[in-house]
Amino acid sequence: MATTTLTPAASAYRSGLYEWLTTTDHKKIGILYIVNSFLFFFLAGLMALGIRTELAQPGLQLFQGNELLYNQLFTMHGSVMIFLFIIPMLAGFGNYVVPLQIGAPDMAFPRINALSFWMLPLGGILLLLGFVTGGAAQAGWTSYSPLAQDRPLSSTGPGQDLWIMGLVLIGTASILGSVNFLATIFKMRAPGMTMFRMPILTWTVLVTSVLVLMATPVFTSALIMLFIDRNYGGHFFDPSTGGNAILWQNVFWFYSHPAVYVMVLPAMGMISEILPVFSRKPLFGYKAFVFATAGIGALGFSVWAHHMFTTGSVYLPFFSLMTFFIAVPTGVKMFNWIFTLFRGQLTFSTPLLFALGFLSMFLIGGINGAFSAAVPVDFALHDTYWVVSHLHYVLFGGSVFGVMAGLYYWFPKMTGRMLGEGLGKVQFVLMFIGFNLTFFPMHQLGLSGMPRRIADYASDAGWNDLNLAATIGGFTIAASTIPLLWNVFISLRAGKIAGDDPWEANTLEWATTSPPPPYNFDRLPEIRSERPLFDLRHGRSANH
Amino acid sequence: MTSTSTVMTTGDPGHSVAEHNPTAGLAHDSRGGISNPILGMILFICSEIMFFSGLFAAYFSVRASAVQWPPIVKGGTDQASIDAAAALTEHFNLHAEPWFGAILTVILVISSVTCQLGIWAIRRDDRTGFIRAFGVTLVLGIVFLIGQAYDYSTLGFGISDTPFGTTFYTLTGFHGAHVFGGAIMLSVVLYRGLAGQFSSKHHDAVEATSLYWHFVDVVWIALFSTLYIL
Amino acid sequence: MSSTPGSRPSTTAIVGWLVAAAVLLGVAVLVALNASSVWNSFFPPQAKSVEGQEIRNLYDIVFAIAVVIFVLVEGLIIWTVVRYRRKPGDDELPPQTHGNNIAEITWVLLPTLIVLYLFVISWQTLNSVEAVDANPNLKVRAVAGQFQWSFEYLPADAKADTTAAFTITNPGGPEGGLFLPAGETTHIYLHSPDVIHAFYVPQFLFKRDVVPTGDFRERENQFDVEIPATDAGQTYRGQCAELCGVGHRIMTFEVHILAPADFTAWYDQQVAAKNATPAPAPSGTAAGPSVPLTAEGVKFDQSTLTGPATGFTIHFDNKDNGIPHDVDILDGTGKKVVDDKDFPGPGAKDYVIPPLPAGTYKYECSIHPGQMFGTLTVQ
Ligand code: HEA
Ligand code: HEA
Ligand code: CUA
Ligand SMILES: [Cu+2]
Repeated sequence: MATTTLTPAASAYRSGLYEWLTTTDHKKIGILYIVNSFLFFFLAGLMALGIRTELAQPGLQLFQGNELLYNQLFTMHGSVMIFLFIIPMLAGFGNYVVPLQIGAPDMAFPRINALSFWMLPLGGILLLLGFVTGGAAQAGWTSYSPLAQDRPLSSTGPGQDLWIMGLVLIGTASILGSVNFLATIFKMRAPGMTMFRMPILTWTVLVTSVLVLMATPVFTSALIMLFIDRNYGGHFFDPSTGGNAILWQNVFWFYSHPAVYVMVLPAMGMISEILPVFSRKPLFGYKAFVFATAGIGALGFSVWAHHMFTTGSVYLPFFSLMTFFIAVPTGVKMFNWIFTLFRGQLTFSTPLLFALGFLSMFLIGGINGAFSAAVPVDFALHDTYWVVSHLHYVLFGGSVFGVMAGLYYWFPKMTGRMLGEGLGKVQFVLMFIGFNLTFFPMHQLGLSGMPRRIADYASDAGWNDLNLAATIGGFTIAASTIPLLWNVFISLRAGKIAGDDPWEANTLEWATTSPPPPYNFDRLPEIRSERPLFDLRHGRSANH
Repeated sequence: MTSTSTVMTTGDPGHSVAEHNPTAGLAHDSRGGISNPILGMILFICSEIMFFSGLFAAYFSVRASAVQWPPIVKGGTDQASIDAAAALTEHFNLHAEPWFGAILTVILVISSVTCQLGIWAIRRDDRTGFIRAFGVTLVLGIVFLIGQAYDYSTLGFGISDTPFGTTFYTLTGFHGAHVFGGAIMLSVVLYRGLAGQFSSKHHDAVEATSLYWHFVDVVWIALFSTLYIL
Repeated sequence: MSSTPGSRPSTTAIVGWLVAAAVLLGVAVLVALNASSVWNSFFPPQAKSVEGQEIRNLYDIVFAIAVVIFVLVEGLIIWTVVRYRRKPGDDELPPQTHGNNIAEITWVLLPTLIVLYLFVISWQTLNSVEAVDANPNLKVRAVAGQFQWSFEYLPADAKADTTAAFTITNPGGPEGGLFLPAGETTHIYLHSPDVIHAFYVPQFLFKRDVVPTGDFRERENQFDVEIPATDAGQTYRGQCAELCGVGHRIMTFEVHILAPADFTAWYDQQVAAKNATPAPAPSGTAAGPSVPLTAEGVKFDQSTLTGPATGFTIHFDNKDNGIPHDVDILDGTGKKVVDDKDFPGPGAKDYVIPPLPAGTYKYECSIHPGQMFGTLTVQ
């Protein structure tokens, strides 16, 4: 049997707002995820601009007389960026693309899928509600206890409780989402789509889902314990009443380290789709790539205490070794990507530019993370701007560049229209330059001792110029979002018609129309390798 | 992976799998293997296990960082508060009389057995047997909850009384909430069973509910061993 | 493939030129600035402790390896991208290589070896940085409370819970800060009465969290710091490095390095000054009238107090759960004339104030002098 015809599973598209609010179609839900995440990105970005404006020069400017607001801003900036932007954004791409890539008509549990999505804006609103009820959470996105406890000079007021409730909701949404992804990937693959023919993005979503499934509930339990401490006189995390302050850090990082791979693995999957297409070659070392992804996932559970090297309560050599080891599977991926490009024929469309941005910038973030694996070096770097630099190089230089690459790559599939290349390139250049201008100087700031999470610094500490550069960079990044928004705006109206497969891509989503029908496929091509469309185009025997 | 792709399905895979025997081994695609709802439940239970692991980790860590476990409460200077503190300390000693917890444990274990009998019954298409077994399970579950509420009322310490009280009520409380959730699932399944919606071919919801109920039972055994015996 | 958008060479070229121009501009700026100071900015400051010097040596190795890896890999990326761009006439597919086991094994093994090496050297450094002298010459407890540092000097044979020989409550200035003898090893305990703080001196390339441990003084973090003999007379800035609330930023302190002889003189002088303060009247016997004072939310409810010169009692009610406060009295010169013992709330205590010469004094909480103070008038 050459192809399999799938019967429509849902009735024809209805249109209008009601449809968007009640949809259970994974493609619409995916788009909802993406739009929602972008809104939160702009919001958290604006908070970052507030932070940068304050830090542009020594002395208090914006937060004169209200320094607590500064703490609220970086807390909410970090929390929103992580829990409401990058994780849901990647889940959104997963939602849109994964069922298409494996030839499924929808996710395994469409209604639970809709539920997971709608919990996000709700959770987000809870989180932000703090700003209007007497102050948002202010103990950092890490909310270390006892600072996050309800005690004087710490976190009194409802902000921290709202933060907890919002994150429990968002976490539950993630868990339900991961159950859905796993069931979909295990059970809904099209005939012929064996595990080792699955596109890499699907693989990364699979591993990510396992991480979410195993790590997020632990975080939920920690949040609930903190809530009990704050509201019912519990004694989990406050040493003055018999609790254990380090316990919070252990459970928090037991979740949050695996979570950093939740924040990057799907982005790695996205560029693993893009690099082969724009170099006209298969991904180099497909199986090695799969094993490296699984290896990162597994190792990811054994390194959490590298955030706690200076607490004096963890066994340092073990966590140091495991943290170093994480560099190995990541390096495998890095070299596989480069050798995918090697001897290829590269077309510099915007998706490829952003993917290359990912490669070159994530490399920096990975290496400066490895500095901290050397425990004594981390004694110097911990909680300085070095770490701020690291986290933005991996999260922005990695994940956000990956998201941008994915947006330019899949936008034609989602909307049927291409994004403009010219504006795309302007955005890339601005963003790339602005990004480095913002976050590179933070290495030097950190080395010279500037701590994180301060609203002001001494004018004679030698940090003035570097901070000013970072602020200019921050506004350059912001400026780079203007061509993006303009691009989306005009392309939706008058963008070039995309057609089914504008990029000569490899994976199944390009075998259906753009945008695809509600049930995804009228007919599926035969699946004989991880590149069914390549096979279709070039004949099965071509170079195989 | 090992899955082969010789059998082809036409039609929506999500529908076709419902026809298969849910007890067959885990397979990796839509052909054969356990159904989506059961896989979903298994995955969900994995996340629940991690949730309780978090609570248990907290319990052991708080316990390890205490001087004395169960803790000794120090009173004020007057005789009344010294006596109150001593009484509180006394209440913490659950080891002294674990029998009530033991009874609750026996109740839950029996309910797991009856639950499984119900599963076997519906697999044989024995609907009355299934309904009877699940009815008993539900009643035992409710008895457990009432028993736990009674236990709480006699304990003499509260959630804010030292880390002991906090961990005790958090762990058993969240377990109780899960029993409650399980009881609701049982009621729904029972209701649908009475309406005749299940057969040996079609009873994924029953299987999923029973998996959850067994899970809740296992958690209680772990809790009982840790809190009342260890 | 001709339909692929963006394969127009013009935009590609523009992007290429823009990126190249930015890079060139960046380099030009660097060269225009002092090149060696730019180079130095990629390193931590010159280490001023023996442990810090070892950390610096480790950093230098990690940095060198990182730069090599970065240059090689980034170079490989750039070279590949430039070399293998699609040229007009590239219509045939490039060779469809699916992988190469030898290459794959190489880039598993090589990084593994590198990270193992890095692990071993950092473990070695760790061991010597963490090593603790059995008989340090000096023991100091750094107390970090929201939002101020103070330093308790303990007798050299002190156990963890011994009371201090004297306490420096000013975190900086000529009178205050952490005074350390050059050429010697000091053992430092870290105590926090409230939330987590971190002891950080950039010049030591070192920080350690100050974790509250409740009733368990013996679980406090501690470490050794050895100052090279050549650094006498230096002053460094230290700061809190763990977010601890709104005042996190102002939790700075100074470290003064004294020559051993100067240090001994300073130490003796401090002990003498402490002994000179009038001993508090025997507790339990309330003398004179009782003046109420309440602490709540890390604030005193009163900013002025009045008492008779014949002595009186301050009835001090600490309502802050888990937060210790006290009431110390300083004379016009800032010298402590009454040094009461702090205790965590909730709870109340009668502080007996001995007869004092009439005049105005300052009272403050020694743990929160920045937030909790007032004026005492003795008549
Ligand atoms: C997407 C998110 C992401 C990713 C992928 C990573 C990846 C890594 N991170 Fe990062 N990290 C964060 C997000 C992330 N991190 C965040 C948000 C924080 C701060 C949290 C907070 O406190 O607020 C943080 C903090 C953080 C710390 C704590 C620092 C401190 O507070 O003191 C440490 C310590 O070890 C660390 C290490 C690493 C390592 C070793 C990797 C590795 O996975 C990187 C591996 C990659 C490479 C090394 C490059 C490619 C490899 C090669 C080319 C092979 C050859 C290389 C070598 C031999 C070295 N990270
Ligand atoms: C995905 C994660 C992510 C991303 C993308 C970013 C993006 C940015 N971050 Fe963020 N950051 C974190 C995650 C992230 N950050 C985390 C986890 C922390 C730690 C928090 C903590 O300490 O607890 C942190 C902390 C942090 C700090 C340290 C604060 C401190 O310690 O005191 C700083 C300081 O400069 C900073 C800056 C920036 C800047 C300038 C951007 C820029 O990239 C932002 C770009 C700007 C925009 C995107 C705005 C664009 C929009 C407009 C201009 C308006 C248009 C508006 C409409 C159309 C409505 N971040
Ligand atoms: Cu104390 Cu920050
Ligand atoms: Cu980490």
